[in-house]
Amino acid sequence: MPILEVERVSHWFGGLQALKDVSLYADREILGLIGPNGAGKTTLFNIISGFLTPTHGKVIYLGKPVQHLPPHQIVRLGIARTFQIVKPFANLTVEENVLAGIGMPYYAQFRGLVAPYRTTANVHTASHLLELTDLQNYRNAPANRLPIGIQRRVEIARALAIKPKLLLLDEPAAGLVAKETLELANLIKNLHQQGINIILIEHNMRFAMSLCQRIVVLAQGEIIAQGQPIEIQANEKVINAYLGQE
Amino acid sequence: MSTGYLLTIFTFIAIYISLALSLNILVGFAGQISLGQAAFFGIGAYTSAVLAIRYSLPFTIDFISAILITGFVGLFLGLPSLRVRHDFLVLATMGINFVVISVFKYVDFFGGAMGLVNIPAPVLFGISFRGGVPYFILSSIYALLTLGLCWYISKTWSGLAFQTIRSDEDAAASVGVSSARYKIYAFGISAAIAGGAGSLYAHFIGSVFPDTFAFVESIAILSMVIFGGVGTLRGPIIGAIILRLTPELLRFISDYRFTLYGALLVLMMLFQPMGILGNGSWLWQKLHPNNRDVANTPQMEVK
Amino acid sequence: MDFAQNLSNAIILGCTYLLMAAGLTMVYGVLKVLHIAHASVYTIGAFVGVLVYSWVGNFWLSLLIAMIFSGVFGILIYRFSYYYLLDVPRTVPLIASIGLFVMLTDLLQKPFLMGPYQRAFPAGGAGLPRIDTPWFSITSKQLLIFSVTIVLMVLVYLLLTRTRIGLGWQAASLDREMAAAVGINLNRIIALNFFIGSALAGAAGVLVGIYNNSVFATMGDLPSYKAFIIIVLGGMGSLPGAILASLLLAIVENFLVASIGYVLPRDSIAFLVLILMLMFRPHGLLGQE
Repeated sequence: MPILEVERVSHWFGGLQALKDVSLYADREILGLIGPNGAGKTTLFNIISGFLTPTHGKVIYLGKPVQHLPPHQIVRLGIARTFQIVKPFANLTVEENVLAGIGMPYYAQFRGLVAPYRTTANVHTASHLLELTDLQNYRNAPANRLPIGIQRRVEIARALAIKPKLLLLDEPAAGLVAKETLELANLIKNLHQQGINIILIEHNMRFAMSLCQRIVVLAQGEIIAQGQPIEIQANEKVINAYLGQE
Repeated sequence: MSTGYLLTIFTFIAIYISLALSLNILVGFAGQISLGQAAFFGIGAYTSAVLAIRYSLPFTIDFISAILITGFVGLFLGLPSLRVRHDFLVLATMGINFVVISVFKYVDFFGGAMGLVNIPAPVLFGISFRGGVPYFILSSIYALLTLGLCWYISKTWSGLAFQTIRSDEDAAASVGVSSARYKIYAFGISAAIAGGAGSLYAHFIGSVFPDTFAFVESIAILSMVIFGGVGTLRGPIIGAIILRLTPELLRFISDYRFTLYGALLVLMMLFQPMGILGNGSWLWQKLHPNNRDVANTPQMEVK
Repeated sequence: MDFAQNLSNAIILGCTYLLMAAGLTMVYGVLKVLHIAHASVYTIGAFVGVLVYSWVGNFWLSLLIAMIFSGVFGILIYRFSYYYLLDVPRTVPLIASIGLFVMLTDLLQKPFLMGPYQRAFPAGGAGLPRIDTPWFSITSKQLLIFSVTIVLMVLVYLLLTRTRIGLGWQAASLDREMAAAVGINLNRIIALNFFIGSALAGAAGVLVGIYNNSVFATMGDLPSYKAFIIIVLGGMGSLPGAILASLLLAIVENFLVASIGYVLPRDSIAFLVLILMLMFRPHGLLGQE
């Protein structure tokens, strides 16, 4: 059984159909979700992570339908995400951003109201995540004063802090310089090896092709192709969809 | 100035420190701007007054009931915050303030426009706390307890959860924070503290009138929080002290004290928008030249 | 008979709400600031109006001078406060506005200005006739309010839709930064915005002063809170919304007071409407999510 199945999902914004009958699955892999602007990739992410309820269709996670759950409940099931337009907690330090993620199990409980968050164990976990994402030098920096590449890593560290089984990355390489992109690719591979399943939206084709084991292509709200990177690169529909946009 | 007069001012300052700290939980911690805090202040005062006058209950019960009932009403009156944000919330809370006051004014049970008078002085451990030093100590203890509670909240997961919804509700949801739940918590806690302050006020003055808790009072409380430095613990305290003292200190030009009070607010916002002791303010940076605590600086952005 | 009379009274009340709310919604549209000090502009308008009237005895001249004075005063408020507070957290201009309001209200109560008492404003109906129909009557004062409101609103409408600066205003209220990027002179637009909005508030002050034959330093408080309710109902920053909401609020108030009497005072009804509105249609009567 795949970890995540999207079953015939359609979504309308007013009179505009953003997704048409989209079905896909994600398994123990790095799955790439690519497509031209306005293809509906972020809409699909918003549906999987609970920020939107699909007009039609189901999202099945570990065998259970989850499409009606709000985002803060989805995340408790182990689906974490980052945002295309970065949203670190701007009024907190990098370390506090990660701690905020570590708190995920507490927020819905009464002891969340009374238990202090900065315990030795939590600070230790946070340090570990900061090292993993190479952020240890920024621990006490306010998150809103950092370059975009680092803010993206803060979001990844925060998402990892909830101990996800499935990680949704929305254009993690956008705005990064070449060196950062390479480091990001290594980080994603590393996370995958640690058993985290990843779906990533990507605009940078080369980045997606080199990193993903399987790719799903969306265009105008529909899946037009899926398969291994090599197949996708040769697919005429895909080439047309991208050329048509230019 | 007589000692009695000074003690009255200091007692008021202690009560307003609690009020400013209570509003700071909403505005500074959870980012929910409210212009209705005086309504909670008033609900606490009226709860206490009604219980003391109509049911002759002792101070301890009045006081605890005021905290609990106001907290409960706060949970309920916080509901608009789930639907509206920013300026709309400011206006909704302002509306709540007007409606609450008109209930006090037009329902006979609450004494109408004549208010409720002859609220007995509190008796604790057999000691009567009518005015003077004992009452000042009583209200100072309450202000200290409030400060302790605010400090403790800022160290807990709920304190962190408040910070996340203040920053970005979507990002907060992405780490499992239900912004609805925490906004309601913030309103409940904030209202409960303000309710306790109201009870202390009612027993101190001995009478309550609807207009004491009108919209202008909400304005005054919010001004204290912003003037001192929103989001910090020291800010609302210094804000309450300065803004309560200013009109008193300016008595020698008594005719113009509110003109100057208003001008002070305007000048402060023009030159020190972070408040007098807020993070990033001139004075706080002078006092803490090496402080890297810039993270809590409210964001300079327009949404 | 009652119905028609109530309706006509409500429309007159709605006109005074509208003049007040129009300026507020224009300011909110461009600056996104809750301009609480607008109340002071209204009072100043009424004060200047009554002063000029006592010297020259001509209503139209006093209305004109009151409007110009209020308009200039509005520009000064902008230039010396909000101008510096456009890119800071929104609590900052809010508190500044509150400070201005406190300061101006206190100043106005000083003996060399208005003093703590009420002044009469005996301009009557400025010579306009009284209208009597079998169903309702309109007093000459009411006719004055109605006609001045209509003329002013038509002028504002023409200005906003038929002139370059009006189109610039519309662009700026949609997106201030974008408007600046395409070369619209924001400072001029905002200044004009304050001038017109404040002049309308001044006119409202004069008209209400005449209607109640009374002008006093705190007369602006309640109308300004009402105006906030109206701009919420109308969808913040929308002028057509404000027109609709002004009339609607006045009608609801009048008919509720007429039918259920004084269970709650008129003004709490308005605030209850506000809260319900925010709960169920937070983007206003005409607004969309």
